[in-house]
Amino acid sequence: MTQVDVRQRILADNAVAAATLRARFAAARTLVVNLISSPGSGKTTLLEATVRALGGRWRLGAIEGDIATDRDADRLRALGIPAHQILTGGSCHLDARQVGRALEEHDLGPLDVLFIENVGNLVCPTSYDLGEDFKIALLSVTEGEDKPFKYPSIFAKAAVTVVTKADLMPYVSFKLDEVRAQVTALRPGGTLLVTSATTGQGIAEWCALLEQRLAEKRGGGS
Amino acid sequence: MHELSLATEIYRTCRATIDARGPGRLDSARVAIGELAAVEPELLVYAWEAVVSGGRDAAARLEVEWHPARQTCATCGEVKERAPGNWLRICPACGGPVQVAGGDELDVIDLSYTPDEEETAK
Repeated sequence: MTQVDVRQRILADNAVAAATLRARFAAARTLVVNLISSPGSGKTTLLEATVRALGGRWRLGAIEGDIATDRDADRLRALGIPAHQILTGGSCHLDARQVGRALEEHDLGPLDVLFIENVGNLVCPTSYDLGEDFKIALLSVTEGEDKPFKYPSIFAKAAVTVVTKADLMPYVSFKLDEVRAQVTALRPGGTLLVTSATTGQGIAEWCALLEQRLAEKRGGGS
Repeated sequence: MHELSLATEIYRTCRATIDARGPGRLDSARVAIGELAAVEPELLVYAWEAVVSGGRDAAARLEVEWHPARQTCATCGEVKERAPGNWLRICPACGGPVQVAGGDELDVIDLSYTPDEEETAK
């Protein structure tokens, strides 16, 4: 029997693919946001609200990850932005190679912001770098305020936590202060936004954050 | 269940490492998994068995080394009293900021294999 020292990251191949994507996005001066949440927390709905708010001014595009159906990409195309659907066929997350292949297959054109909507899951997508500028975690008020501590990895890695469906807050017991405390404990200095795509609450702040991050990326030189 | 993807990557890495040295059969692989890596060791071993089953390396074992995160408070020192997985960046005793080190390991450490020439020499 022969022993061999390997000393290699398990996701080394993904890291290489993510670095290639990151260089490509830097050259294209495109801000890339990786959206992660449980199913049904409102990722596509937040994107629809974003397109309505910014679509006239900015070139937006989306890559949608789902196990089955083109529904999410269809919803965004209906609003007039280029969207590509990745069907993972059972896999619970997107990886960098899938995103690279999607961009080879489907040229989304020059973009100011590319949204990568991950498969609905608070655990698995956390481990995979997609070459994004930052991750956001969405938490709808109907999911309950205990989620950051129950799924600490994503809330620690996400630069921004977006609370969604805030218009339902009067009807559910959701303690926003507790979410704020948990997110601060996991990610000191992270941003917490409270939004409702129905009433428009917080959408302007969300768009302002995107605008600031895009300006930072472009101001920092390409 | 991204453990299956991870097990596939681990096996791919092992296979490439052996293939670069000539033909051989994988006996075991050792991986380091950190507490913050969002990976369940038992599921990883289960996924590994599924990945190697049916092939020439079907008997290969996966050994998981578990690496807890170390949390240190500037005032109180090491934060020891916490439930596994309960890793915060604020000290539970004094509320000060906590430094987190390690715990994000996701590495293939080493492997053992039997070269085909040893097999035929037996």
